[in-house]
Parts: sequence; structure tokens; C-alpha cells
Amino acid sequence: MYTAIHELVAAAQKRQVPISELIIEQEIEMSHTSREVIWATMGKNLDVMLAAEEKGVTGEGVQSATGITGGEAVLLKRYREKGQSLSGDVMLTAMQNAMATNEVNASMGIICATPTAGSAGTLPGVLSVLTARLALDRNAQIRFLFCAAAFGMVVANTAMIAGATGGCQAEVGSAAAMGAAAAVEIAGGTPQQSSEAFAIAMANLLGLVCDPVAGLVEIPCVKRNVIGAVDALTSADMALAGLVSKIPADEVISAMKRIGEEMPATLRETGLGGLAATPTGIALKMQIFGKDKSLK
Amino acid sequence: MPNQYRSVFDIIGPIMIGPSSSHTAGAVAIGHVANRLFHTSISKIIVRYYESFAQTHQGHGTDYAIISGVLGFDPADKRVPMAVDLARRQGIDVVFIEEPGKSPVNHPNTAELTLINREKELTIWGCSIGGGTIEIRQVDFNGIKIKTDGPLPLIFVESEQAIGTALDRIFGENYRDKRISVKVPDRFLYKIELIDKPYPEQIEQVRGMSQDVIVL
Repeated sequence: MYTAIHELVAAAQKRQVPISELIIEQEIEMSHTSREVIWATMGKNLDVMLAAEEKGVTGEGVQSATGITGGEAVLLKRYREKGQSLSGDVMLTAMQNAMATNEVNASMGIICATPTAGSAGTLPGVLSVLTARLALDRNAQIRFLFCAAAFGMVVANTAMIAGATGGCQAEVGSAAAMGAAAAVEIAGGTPQQSSEAFAIAMANLLGLVCDPVAGLVEIPCVKRNVIGAVDALTSADMALAGLVSKIPADEVISAMKRIGEEMPATLRETGLGGLAATPTGIALKMQIFGKDKSLK
Repeated sequence: MPNQYRSVFDIIGPIMIGPSSSHTAGAVAIGHVANRLFHTSISKIIVRYYESFAQTHQGHGTDYAIISGVLGFDPADKRVPMAVDLARRQGIDVVFIEEPGKSPVNHPNTAELTLINREKELTIWGCSIGGGTIEIRQVDFNGIKIKTDGPLPLIFVESEQAIGTALDRIFGENYRDKRISVKVPDRFLYKIELIDKPYPEQIEQVRGMSQDVIVL
């Protein structure tokens, strides 16, 4: 089992195969399941991601039960379609789809956790851009997800991917790093460049706290996935341009882990600190739980 | 510490009803373990939450998630948000308790889940470690406490005969920890912690000796 990014890169270089292929082989060996079944399962995950994106931008979009998030992916879509955005159609596509996915998640719709539900929008945001820019077919989209999973497994096993243990850097930060690494592979970069993109993307979001208003996966989670997707794409471009991370990927993961461990509990998904503890955050919590405790 | 995430689908997946993989999908998975261990009708369910689970279970749908696991639903089942009502309508007494102290098994997302009927009582201590992946850190069958290392796969086998050496022969090379057996009045209870998912043939071999096999 691969337990470090440098092991993945070295094995991919030695055998001249993409990192996505290494992880598919590992999955076949460890799960005692055929390549066809594994490929089809990942295909189902892809279908769920695409359906969630679609749902989030159809009509007026979706609304959460609390009413504090929803409908904003549609606003991004309309703005993008006018063609006058500052960051251009590519970035707006990523933003729109990341947002749509997490709005669907907040509305208790069906999503695919990548690696978590709170960070479920980041990878779809990245993938939607790659699909449009590089005209990816279904198989290439599935391969993107395998490559992202390879990097995510190292993070999950050597650090953490839960906001409760490591803050949002462990969720959206991990998702952004996974997306950056996989984007590089799909765009034709080298395994080493994937590792650089991963390290840059994660380093850029180190220290990000998990401070959900009212303890809900809504504010700021939904918009943080937009930042995750944008971070992934810009980091992938930096790596493809030949930039490197002076701190190697595995050391960035160790730093993330240490920061997560040092983070106070109030900033680890308890809904007690950060934005959740602002006057408006507290007022929203009262508004939601004060009148209807069960939220049903 | 063994690697807890052993499949690409622990990272890309699960497919689930939002909003939180730890608090919703992970809670379904904890409920599901209790369902499989208990595997008979239930009259009462008690859920005790600790730390982050205690603070945020309401907003994350943890209540209906854990109960839907107990009822055997998968995390993307459309009935998940209605599970508490469905359980109560079946006549099951459902109780949620927010514990003020630290998790007894040392994880911020801990649920202590007790299932009761006239004949038996089961409690599991489950931790949702992120992305929908869980650990079971302790199991209590009718007062018999079994500590577990946490990560799945975990196999429980009940048998009237002593079958430990046969189990060693089947799984020996795949043991994460030595198997343990507990002698209860008229039978043996084995707990097996594995490194990798068992092969279907291995489970078939165990079923040849005992029908009471639960693979988690």
C-alpha cells in the first residue's frame, strides 16, 4: 500500500505508468475485485457528481432546510453566461459547479463525498473545467477520480480528512490538493508535477479552520469549496508551468497534520469559534435552533 | 497504527445524502454495524453523543443518519431523513443523549449506540473518522466487553465448538491483531481483526463451521 506521495511518484516514474494506474492496481489487489467492477463503481460516483452539479444549477437551484444557503450557484451561472466576469469563463465554471454541488449537499440532496461531504464540491468544480477545456471523455474523467483518490488516501492515512480532527484545511485543503494533482496528470503533466501541484495547493490552504455557523455544513463550507476548486486549478497551472514547491508534498501533509492537532477544539467543527462565534453567526444559530430544535 | 483508509472508495465516496460525511454517512455506517451485530428485532435504541457529535448532531442530521443505519438503510436511501419517525412508528423507543464529557474512546466524533430487546443488549462505541469511514473501538455484547483496534474489517464468529485453530488456518497471514476468543456459558465468541478485506472463499469456509458469522 502506498503511504507517501514520494512513493507514488517514484513507482510511477520507474514503471512509466500514471499514478491513477498504480492506485487501480492497488485497489484490485486489496479489495479482491476485478478492474471492470472497480471502474464501474467509480463511474457511478462520477454520475452522482454530474447529477448534483446539474441539480444545483437547474431552475432556481436548491435551498437548504434552514434557508441560509442555496440558489447562489444559479446566480454564478447567470453571471458567467453574460460573459463579463473578471476571472473568465473557465474559473466561473469551476466556481459554479463547486458551489452547485455543496448547495445540493446542504439541501440534503445526493452527493459523492470527495473526500468528505463538506468538501464534495471541490473536485467536481475542477473536473468540470478539465472536461470542457480538454474535451475529456468519460474514461478520462473516471481516471481523474482515481488519481485524486491516490493522493487523498495518503493524506487520510498519514494525517486526517475530517474537520473535527484537522479543521477545514483537512477537508477543502485536501480536496484542493487532490484535485490539483489529478488535474496535472489528466493535462499530461509528469507524476513529479502532480506532486508539486498537490504540495502547492495544500500549502495555500494550511491553517484553514472549521467554523461552521450553527454547526451546519453551510456557512462557510459552500463558498470554501469554490476557493478549493480555484486553488486546485491555479496550483495545477503553476506546476505545469514548471514551478515547484520548495517544501515536498509529504512534508506539507505532515505540517497540515501538526497544525490540525494544534488547532483548538473551538475551530474543529464544533461550531463554537470563528465565523460561528460572530454576532451574526450566533444570531443565525438562534434563528435556526431557537424556534425549531429538531430542524424538521 | 494500521492504515484506516484502504480503498479508493473511502476517498471518492460514499454516495450519500448530505450534509456531512462524518456526521451523516459515518453515522449511518455506525448504525449499520449495530444492525448487523444485533440482527433481531429492537425495542429500544439509545444514542449517546460525545464532543463534536454532541455539539452538532442536530444540524447534521446525525440522529436520522444513525437510526437509518440501525434500520439497515444505505447512506443514499431516500428514507434516511425520515428514519427516526419510521423507527418510532415501528414501536421502537428512540432516545438521544448529549454527553458533556470527553469521548470514552478518545475521538471527537464518538457515538455510543445501544440496542435492546427482551433477550439481549448490545452497545458499540463508534467513531466517525472522516469521509464516511468509521472505526468501532469497543463492543459490549450482553455485558461482555470486547476492545477492538478500531479500523475495519472486523469479523465476529459465534460457535458452540472451539474453532480457533481453524480460524488461524484460514486467516492467519491476514491478522492485524491476534484473534481473541471469549468463552460464554454455552459457546465461544471470536473476534478477528484483519489487515485486508477477506476473500469470499474464506468467509464461506468459516460459514462451513458456524452460521453465526458477521463481517464488518
